[in-house]
Amino acid sequence: MASARPANYASRIIQKQCFLPTSDLMGVRFSGSHAQTQEHKTNPLVTISEEPETLYKRLSLLVKGHDKAVLDSYEYFAVLAAKELGISVEKIHRPPKKIERFTLLKSVHIYKKHRVQYEMRTHYTCLELKYLTGSTAAVYLEYVERNLPEGVAMEVKKTKIEKIPEHIQEPVWDTLPQVEETEVKS
Amino acid sequence: MAAAAVALTLRAAPRGVPILSHVPVLTAARHLHTTPACLKTRAARVRVGKGDKPVTYEKAHPPHYIAHRKGWLSLHTGNLDGELGAAERTVEDVFLRKFFHGTFPGCLADEVVLKRRANALVGCLLLLPHLAPAKLCFLVGYAETLLSHLYKCPVRLEVQTVPAKVVYKWL
Repeated sequence: MASARPANYASRIIQKQCFLPTSDLMGVRFSGSHAQTQEHKTNPLVTISEEPETLYKRLSLLVKGHDKAVLDSYEYFAVLAAKELGISVEKIHRPPKKIERFTLLKSVHIYKKHRVQYEMRTHYTCLELKYLTGSTAAVYLEYVERNLPEGVAMEVKKTKIEKIPEHIQEPVWDTLPQVEETEVKS
Repeated sequence: MAAAAVALTLRAAPRGVPILSHVPVLTAARHLHTTPACLKTRAARVRVGKGDKPVTYEKAHPPHYIAHRKGWLSLHTGNLDGELGAAERTVEDVFLRKFFHGTFPGCLADEVVLKRRANALVGCLLLLPHLAPAKLCFLVGYAETLLSHLYKCPVRLEVQTVPAKVVYKWL
């Protein structure tokens, strides 16, 4: 399947590895079968398999941390990585922070009127990327997860696109034999 | 904190019985502070003194400045909303701080910063050059290997030597 998306990262790889006779195939990504017109060096790190790619409609990264500055810098890093790989960012939104507070007695024994309050703040940033293939998602997530700063947690939600199963593709009433309508006398 | 004033006095001798003067008199008195100036929070605060006590930036700021003027000494995801393992990390931190305090005797310039990155533990130490560099190298390697075997995870120490303790304030 060839997609005409501008993939600057992919074109850089193609330029390095295989020398194509025609230049109008530069932005095309090869998956599955590809024509080997000339001998090109096979990179041992790149594997090409025959199975079709899983498609993701949306990849949602929810990043949570205690420090807002750390989350902002991580969001800049993730958006930059996505742009380099040619992944389109749908939206970046920051859900409101959650504060968990508890009130404890200040003293070890008695003094009920004197208490201490502690709180833990969790800031969130949600990054939504759209229309990814399985291998792109795997590469991007691997890179972004390895560079998670300490004290920051990430939750990833993937929305997969699947083909409609064959038994639902046509409505049921089209396949049934036509029944003649009988008049009902009330 | 509340203490009642206790004073034991000689019982009054009943009539006709002579008072024995060689019996020892026990008096114990404890005083109660009731002035409001003494009821202050003392948590993680260095009390103001005569101006001869050097205090680092970390110790000079009380805990309500965390996330405003101070950072965190231990960075992990246990305390985030919906995450588990906060108590285990805290226990590990307590042990690690005691371990570093003992392994580098008198060499720690400031508190150890502990970072956890996906199973790996990174300890950032600021050391004073009281020990020879060869000894410091050995201690760093020894600490890393021992802790890796103890906690079954890769432990890395990032060590920086500082000529003297960085003083922020004199209290």
